[in-house]
Amino acid sequence: MKALLLATALVPLATFAHAECTPDYSGVTLTVSTQNGPFIASALKSAAEKWEKKTCGEVDLVEFPFSELYPKFLTAMSQQTGDFDVIGFIPAWLPDFAPYLSTMPAAMQEGDAWLDIHPVYRERLMSWGGEIKSATMDGDMHMLNYRADLFEFPGNRQDFKAKYGYDLAAPKTWDQYYDIAEFFQASEAVKYGTAEAYRRGGQQFWYFFSHAASYTNNPNTPGAMFFDPETMDAQINNPGWLRALEEYKRGLEFNPPGALNNGSGDVRPLYAGGSVAMNIDWADSGVLGATEGAIKGNVRTAVLPGSSQIWNSKSADWDKFDNPVASPFLAFGGWQLAVPSDSANTEAAWSFVAEVTSPETSGEAIVTANTGVNPYRLSHYENLETWGSIFSANEAESYLGAQRASLDSPNVALDLRLPGFFSYTEVLEIELSKALAGDVEPQEALDAIAAEWNKLTDEFGRDKQLAAYRASMGLPPLNN
Amino acid sequence: MGDATKQERVKHVFIWPAFLLVLLITLFPLIYALVVSFQSIRIVPPLPPRYVGVDNYLEILGSARFWGGMQVTSVIVFASVALQYAFGFAMALTLHHNIAGASLYRVAFLLPMFLAPVCVALIARMLFHPVLGPVNELFSAFGLEHIPFLTTPSLAIATLIVIETWQWTPFVVLLMLAGLQGLPSEVFEAARVDNIPAWRRFRDLTFPMLLPLSVAVIFIRLIEGFKIIDTVFVLTGGGPGTSTETLTLFAYNEGFKKFNIGMTSALSFVFLFVVIIFGTVYLAASQRLMRRYQ
Amino acid sequence: MENQSYRRFGFLLGIVWLIFCLFPIWWVVVTAFKPPIAVSQGATYIPFVDFTPTLQAFRDAIAGLRGDFAGPIVSSLLISVTATGLAVFLGAMAAYALVRFEFRIRLLAGLVFGIVSIGGFALLNQTFSVRVPYALAIVLVTALPLSVWLNSLRLPGPVLKNDDVTFWFVSQRMFPPIVSAFALFLLYAEMNKVGVRLLDSFPGMVLAYTAFGLPFAVWLMRDFFTNVPIEVEEAAMVDDIGRLRIFFQIVLPMSKPGLVATSMIILAFIWNEFLFALLLTSSKWQTLPILLAGQNSSRGDEWWAISVAALISILPMIVVALFLGRMMRSGFLAGSIK
Repeated sequence: MKALLLATALVPLATFAHAECTPDYSGVTLTVSTQNGPFIASALKSAAEKWEKKTCGEVDLVEFPFSELYPKFLTAMSQQTGDFDVIGFIPAWLPDFAPYLSTMPAAMQEGDAWLDIHPVYRERLMSWGGEIKSATMDGDMHMLNYRADLFEFPGNRQDFKAKYGYDLAAPKTWDQYYDIAEFFQASEAVKYGTAEAYRRGGQQFWYFFSHAASYTNNPNTPGAMFFDPETMDAQINNPGWLRALEEYKRGLEFNPPGALNNGSGDVRPLYAGGSVAMNIDWADSGVLGATEGAIKGNVRTAVLPGSSQIWNSKSADWDKFDNPVASPFLAFGGWQLAVPSDSANTEAAWSFVAEVTSPETSGEAIVTANTGVNPYRLSHYENLETWGSIFSANEAESYLGAQRASLDSPNVALDLRLPGFFSYTEVLEIELSKALAGDVEPQEALDAIAAEWNKLTDEFGRDKQLAAYRASMGLPPLNN
Repeated sequence: MGDATKQERVKHVFIWPAFLLVLLITLFPLIYALVVSFQSIRIVPPLPPRYVGVDNYLEILGSARFWGGMQVTSVIVFASVALQYAFGFAMALTLHHNIAGASLYRVAFLLPMFLAPVCVALIARMLFHPVLGPVNELFSAFGLEHIPFLTTPSLAIATLIVIETWQWTPFVVLLMLAGLQGLPSEVFEAARVDNIPAWRRFRDLTFPMLLPLSVAVIFIRLIEGFKIIDTVFVLTGGGPGTSTETLTLFAYNEGFKKFNIGMTSALSFVFLFVVIIFGTVYLAASQRLMRRYQ
Repeated sequence: MENQSYRRFGFLLGIVWLIFCLFPIWWVVVTAFKPPIAVSQGATYIPFVDFTPTLQAFRDAIAGLRGDFAGPIVSSLLISVTATGLAVFLGAMAAYALVRFEFRIRLLAGLVFGIVSIGGFALLNQTFSVRVPYALAIVLVTALPLSVWLNSLRLPGPVLKNDDVTFWFVSQRMFPPIVSAFALFLLYAEMNKVGVRLLDSFPGMVLAYTAFGLPFAVWLMRDFFTNVPIEVEEAAMVDDIGRLRIFFQIVLPMSKPGLVATSMIILAFIWNEFLFALLLTSSKWQTLPILLAGQNSSRGDEWWAISVAALISILPMIVVALFLGRMMRSGFLAGSIK
């Protein structure tokens, strides 16, 4: 009985909306901060209205440009200014932020609402150093979007089969992906084959990682995608990564002209506007295509292509598999909320976080246009009927199916999360953009990245970085 | 005598408020940066500060990225300031002579200066879009389609120069116009009566009289121009590679992304040193020029 | 005849520059009314001909979808106008002193100030761990009188003159803002800990921006004051009118074009300043550039939304420019009548 009371008090339910101020936070003003709207910010805004009504507290939402969020939060927290009560940020920064964050209250780490969060987020992305430091408010991974009207059109299917010798369908391997891209690039049905992001600072390296996961995330050597999980030696210049880079670059042929300028934001309207047959993106393209685009009703989503050959860094050879192995890459990992420990209102702040991430509030956010919130709870994938406001039945099924399948995939590839994230990705971006512009050979670029990564690891302390890397990849600590 | 010293003493009333305020706000940053530039301080990941002597400075001077940034910055600054001054002075003269519609021009010409640089850069990204932008249409008319303005190093730098010129020429126009208006009109009347041709009036009267102001205007533009960051950040991010990375963008990445504070501080002092060298050479040269006209 | 051809050339130049200058602005105005389709299909220029204009982007902005504009506009206006006024006022005073009086500062005294303040601060802060604001205050209170006293002695070594003092002012603007903004943030954060609220506050921002604008004001006003004929002042001085009154009642009114131009330049700089605003504000006093910089969103470059934001940020400045432009015009007329 007591447990039940506790649970109902902690998990804010809409039925209590009339009850005055439970819990009572009147007089408390929370400063909540994240990137400029509408994405994420608008979801926080509508959740804030609900929370204010319920608790009599107040929420002040402050927005900063995405590129400035990291320095802003880090400087404020490290100097203990107490400026922010709740911050919205991305998992890649968690290792750098964790020392300044409070731990999620134990009461929020139990019960149905807790178990409803997909384990990949709950157990992996929300935790750092063995503690739950943040709460996922948005699920995210790279997926492949394609157009049903093009893929199901009999003429296209015939021509494709005649030319390539197999049926036109969502690609299972990257080779197929490029066949299809080439096919549609040449075809009259649509202008360009596919769209990916290539712009430096435009989420470029996550696209590269998505390609690389298929060739380097070997199920036989778990956690060896970015670094050797025993020595922390950079793996990024091995043949698997080289193949990924060459293919990523080759894709430029099937992208619209000027694609080197395209960030992930540009890739979305290209797909939704009907200019390309496919694209690779987070879940946002699907929503945009189904609500605002010229391709309504034809949005289809699939798990990222895989490969039947994966580089084994231990044996230094390619491992061959009978069937293509999907290694869906959890790029970015979705927005998270956390409460800095210098906040004066941690209790109220966590209660606000609980409101935003509650099954009910988040369930509304995922089907509201422009919130940028994508499914991350089991209940989100199951309540198909709520998706009717955005998708047709076919669309919803493939959209949710692809996301769920990506998360449930046995060989899911986790994003890089390491202290000093920006130091690692900066050199990556520089060399990557050189290679894409044709200034240096791919292998040369990758060697340069690997050399710098090893140098950084030594500078930051190899043992510390190794321990952090293993934790982020879900591997147990090394015993020696 | 007593009166003179009293007169002298009042000068302190004039200068101290400004002096103290500037000192107060800039002293600490300077001390802090100086101390830190000899240390290895990283906030991310948090490592205890370590005294490293001049290592930071040596590393900067040995880094190709620094010299690349130096070159990019210099090219952009010198080219764009030269253009700004030439166009700006010409426009100020035109406006001063009250051509038709001058009052409209006066406001219109100022507008670019009031746009935030980051805004200008965003607008420029639309204008120079290789497929959807109007500049592409202009070049297409000459048969040059889809020029990659922002992803080829030399074109990207040229684009940055154009943007800088667009935004900051108003600065020159405004100040030179104010300077022209402050000139004593009697001299010009006399010259006109003597039938001295216009270009000689300009060469022998206007230009020399405005020389001190010109020196100041160019100097401010040089100093400010050296700090160019937003436009580059938004347009190219410094790429491809680091081929369009300016010094301040380099410092920004070290300081605000990697929080390598020691290195950034050292970089700032090297930067300050470079600007002071340029500034001193420039001022010395312009002093000579001014003396020639006196 | 010759004049005529110059005039024609000037007119032509004016037209060309007008187009160059205004085209991007025209583009912004037009784009603000574009529906997405008019952007993604290639360049379009004229509403109703090339595309059907829509007010959607404005509605989104007013509805707060792109962030709350009202608050930042007010704080931006309050902060930048106050700081500009202060900077021009204090800067003009300093500039006047630099034009009309002689300053002699011994390099040695200056060096002593530098060494005592830097060394003293490092010692107090690092060795005795005195809090930053206190250490800074102690250092200032000792080093400043010390060097002023030293300056009155007949010390050997070079003597700095007015030009060097001016250069000192301007050199404050040479330091790259990244480090000074970060250090100023640290200072303000430390002040916070001893109970003085400067972070995210009106006084804190005005203080920083006044210091930010002062070097320009000194440097520019000095050049404008040199053109003010000294005879008028000498006449006034014979009448035994105090320097301060001369300055306020004679010199300032006579250099109105310069004052206006300087104010506009400083206003433009402060209005658009980004880095200090980013670090020193967090919610209540957030300024417009922070909001503007965030307009390229995760939905791609929504050109119409960026354009609306740009228009919102430039509108107050057009009003100010018109107002100051009028003052400039009257200054111009006064000059031609003389």
